[in-house]
Amino acid sequence: MLFRGRQAIFEQAVNRYFGDLYRYAYWLCRNRWQAEDVVQESLARAWRAWPALREERALKSWLFTIVRREHLRAVSRTPRPEGDEDVAEQGYDPDPACALDLEDALRGLPEDSREALLLQVLGGFSCAEIASLLGASEGAVMTRLTRARQAVRRHLGATDGEKGIKQA
Amino acid sequence: MLDPRRLGTEALEHAERCDMCREFLAHALELEAQIESALRTPVPHGLQERVVRNAISAPRVSRRHALAAGLALAAAGGVALLWKRDDPLALAGIDFVVFKEAQSILDAKPADPEVLLRAAVQIGIALPAQLGEVRYVGTCPFAGSTAHHVVLKTAFGKATLLLLLDRPLGSRLVASARGLEAAISPAPRGSVVIVADSSRSIARIESILMSG
Repeated sequence: MLFRGRQAIFEQAVNRYFGDLYRYAYWLCRNRWQAEDVVQESLARAWRAWPALREERALKSWLFTIVRREHLRAVSRTPRPEGDEDVAEQGYDPDPACALDLEDALRGLPEDSREALLLQVLGGFSCAEIASLLGASEGAVMTRLTRARQAVRRHLGATDGEKGIKQA
Repeated sequence: MLDPRRLGTEALEHAERCDMCREFLAHALELEAQIESALRTPVPHGLQERVVRNAISAPRVSRRHALAAGLALAAAGGVALLWKRDDPLALAGIDFVVFKEAQSILDAKPADPEVLLRAAVQIGIALPAQLGEVRYVGTCPFAGSTAHHVVLKTAFGKATLLLLLDRPLGSRLVASARGLEAAISPAPRGSVVIVADSSRSIARIESILMSG
């Protein structure tokens, strides 16, 4: 009975974040099959380590950290050449050309910038939280995020440079 | 700009007063929405249920229990007979899928599906539509020869086939490792390596392949 309760709580917790965890893995791996493997192994690890999770409010960052580490483990087993891209799924978009350009732009981001952007957009983490997840300084994270958006904008041929508005 | 959705009060007030900045902000927010939309890749149908189920049902063995079990097996003697499951060639099939398949797909030139069909006829197996959706067809080096490499999306999940024209086998070989199962099935004029995430998937695929 106790075990069933813990399982139900685990399932409920994972179900809440599963979509974003998969997407995070997908954009790290840039390959659907590898992303599925990473997520599978990550959640198996999470289940095994579930009793050790002390703070429920840390759950989301805990799960994302496990996925990130599993991806790094997978990469260390099968190193990928720089700029390598796999055959990938395309989501539905009413403007396929624009979506493809944007996906190209995202795939072309340097890994550290892409990772910071994924954690912010998919995970909803703050710069401080991202810094903690990545083991980087908050300043470095801010730089990566700024560069990521600038790179995407450049790739899409949008406005050059920043004008006028100040970030608080 | 870090995130146009999280501007401070001062910046927002400025944007209300400054036409150029308001327009810039509008473009930035539009781009942000596009980025978010692009990143929100659809989750494959059924993946969540399968992954969560597999994660929970994977054996939980403490280190102490694993050590005790290992010692018991070693002490039993004759245990090598039990490890018929880990045939080296079948294990090589699993290793190929885990470590080399992605790169092999990247490196391969576009393949002609007709070549695969001819290879299947030559080996003596069927490739009917009920196998599932063919996601990739190519060739690759495997265990000292060239294999016809197929990646399938079946009703039971992803499966990899390696058709070996020059590897006749006397009996079926199996292996289990890294969360995957592999079987090498003898065919009339060669053999087929099947790697999937369950023995059930493999059995189903085998029965379809040999139905021709």
